[in-house]
Amino acid sequence: MQKSASASSLGPGGLDLSNIFFKPIQNTSPPSPTKRHTKISVIGAGNVGMAIAQTILTQDLADEIALVDAQPAKLRGEMLDLQHAAAFLPRTKIIASTDYSVTVGSDLCIVSAGARQIAGESRLNLLQRNVALFRGIIPPIAKYSPGTILMIVSNPVDVLTYVAWKLSGFPSNRVVGSGTNLDSSRFRFLIADHLDVNAQDVQASIIGEHGDSSVALWSSISVGGVPVLSFLDKQQIPYEKETLEGIHKAVVDSAYEVISLKGYTSWAIGYSAANLARSILRDQRKIHPVSVLAKGFYGIDDGDVFLSLPALLGRGGVLGVTNVNLTDEEEQRLRKSAQTISKLQSQLGL
Amino acid sequence: MQKSASASSLGPGGIDLSQIFFKPTQNTSTPSPTNGHTKISVIGTGNVGMAIAQTILTQDLADELALVDAKPDKLRGEMLDLQHAAAFLPRTRILASTDYSATVGSDLCIVTAGARQIPGESRLNLLQRNVEMFQGIIPPLSRCSPDTILMIVSNPVDVLTYVAWKLSGFPSNRVIGSGTNLDSSRFRFLIADHLDVNAQDVQGVFKVEEVHNKWQELSKEAYIVGEHGDSSVALWSSISVGGVPVLSFLKKQQIPYEKEALEKIHKAVVESADEVISLKGYTSWAIGYSAANLARSILRDQRKIHPVSVLANGFYGIGDGDVFLSLPALLGRGGVLGVTNVHLTDEEAERLRDSARTISEVQSQLGL
Repeated sequence: MQKSASASSLGPGGLDLSNIFFKPIQNTSPPSPTKRHTKISVIGAGNVGMAIAQTILTQDLADEIALVDAQPAKLRGEMLDLQHAAAFLPRTKIIASTDYSVTVGSDLCIVSAGARQIAGESRLNLLQRNVALFRGIIPPIAKYSPGTILMIVSNPVDVLTYVAWKLSGFPSNRVVGSGTNLDSSRFRFLIADHLDVNAQDVQASIIGEHGDSSVALWSSISVGGVPVLSFLDKQQIPYEKETLEGIHKAVVDSAYEVISLKGYTSWAIGYSAANLARSILRDQRKIHPVSVLAKGFYGIDDGDVFLSLPALLGRGGVLGVTNVNLTDEEEQRLRKSAQTISKLQSQLGL
Repeated sequence: MQKSASASSLGPGGIDLSQIFFKPTQNTSTPSPTNGHTKISVIGTGNVGMAIAQTILTQDLADELALVDAKPDKLRGEMLDLQHAAAFLPRTRILASTDYSATVGSDLCIVTAGARQIPGESRLNLLQRNVEMFQGIIPPLSRCSPDTILMIVSNPVDVLTYVAWKLSGFPSNRVIGSGTNLDSSRFRFLIADHLDVNAQDVQGVFKVEEVHNKWQELSKEAYIVGEHGDSSVALWSSISVGGVPVLSFLKKQQIPYEKEALEKIHKAVVESADEVISLKGYTSWAIGYSAANLARSILRDQRKIHPVSVLANGFYGIGDGDVFLSLPALLGRGGVLGVTNVHLTDEEAERLRDSARTISEVQSQLGL
């Protein structure tokens, strides 16, 4: 039976009960080949990484969770803090190391590590620092789990998902960015809160670049199946374009608002990533707006660009991209985002 | 229908769809009197309070969650961060305010707020500052929810649970401290990890010892001479794995074990919290799960036994003043329904009474 190093004897210089407490049953040692052991690795044990790890643990999404970070003390502290809850949770193996070998055999690797923007630093410079960081993260992950699905959460997520794709050598269906999954949740929360309806009955997508130039798909908004804008049209209720833009801006600003109030965001992105993890690992075939290779969709062909599009997710990763009916304006904004990202990427030397 | 202030129109200066999107059904405005609406309030939105709030949210334990803290910005940020996950969770109303009126009608109030120790500060002084803080927390909480169950997480938990009990005027069955529920989990984790068994199959009662040691230190600062007892570990006899009592198993197998080995294991558990603090700066996740675990037992009337801080008078000969200590307590919707009759040796019972006396003497200096 495998045991963590610290538990080889019970307590320092202590008892070893392990060989006497149970009478072993013969011939159990190769586990059944159909054994479904799910392993998730989380890279980066900061506020975001730990919120993701803890939500995954609470929602019982994995049999094994591996944590990796560059700071060994913080990493060990976080691992112990999760392990100490053992009596309150389904049994999950929790391991941690600064060495990537701990991620071996992962079904899903979630990367939340990222450099923080220094005051006055240009986006390009920050990006270049993050690319350097990813050169130390992505290749070992890919080496230790060549069949894994890679989920990038670090910002700017679209470019970094592209970077992860290039550095891993994986097929594009196995590399996904958390993208606008959370923006869409915030959007749905705003609408649901106003109508006093469950947010899960509100369908609403924000796609495109995760950030200021994301695209709100107004025609996609429906509540209990009723498309909102055409409802307004039929009821002859006027609305102004600026109003819609105000709502979208409120969504974009939400993240900044939380950061200005509590210093960072963590809980919501934790739930968002766990939600994506569940769709993938439990083969849910659900549609999520996540950052995928957008080339070939909606007239985007300026190089290999990752952008959030409504994607069908399952155990194989990205199974397809839904054919949403975009207005000309929405398509144009998407293509413009693609161009901007493409230009930025070309300066990264990948 | 109730709506949060920010949602009165959709977007700034925006559309108001709320009156037109749904055709209302008549006569729904008085909810059924048997409406099982569960509300939990968490006081203190630091690392511990937020880990508790988030775990409660993920485990779908409440219909409504209220957060209270003294810092309005941090508080609002934390509330928004939870609300933004609405699409991924069962619908839970989340509100936050620096004003205790937000806690009205709570079924359970969890207090995590506490002063941080200033370097060089005596423990008694820290305690006195915490008592002052509680004087601003407990009375409004109990006024806003006179029937609530009060759960204290702030440390030192035994004394602060006593303080909360005095300040609230509640019957003692409705005031508990999170106590040693978490230490038990750590202990069970250690044993379970060694035996490669599920931690939930390790049963036992723990930690009378830590209470004793902690209060020996504190009593010195309070100018009361305490006693260095020998540190024999209590309650090992209660530990079982899958129902098999561990110590008698060892005896029957004629496997020798040293008292020191048991003490070292106990010591490792006691030091676990300090280890996590020295590594990551604080603990949060484990106490979050522990408090949510207690919340579930109480609100879902699970009648489970947990080692939590309860009024210990009348048990094991404790009678010198009112003292809260961790004892294995039966928890349900009414709070503390009983205390299990764990067998203590004479030595263990004496140490427990010692601890109680020490705590009582410190409490008498708090002026409550």
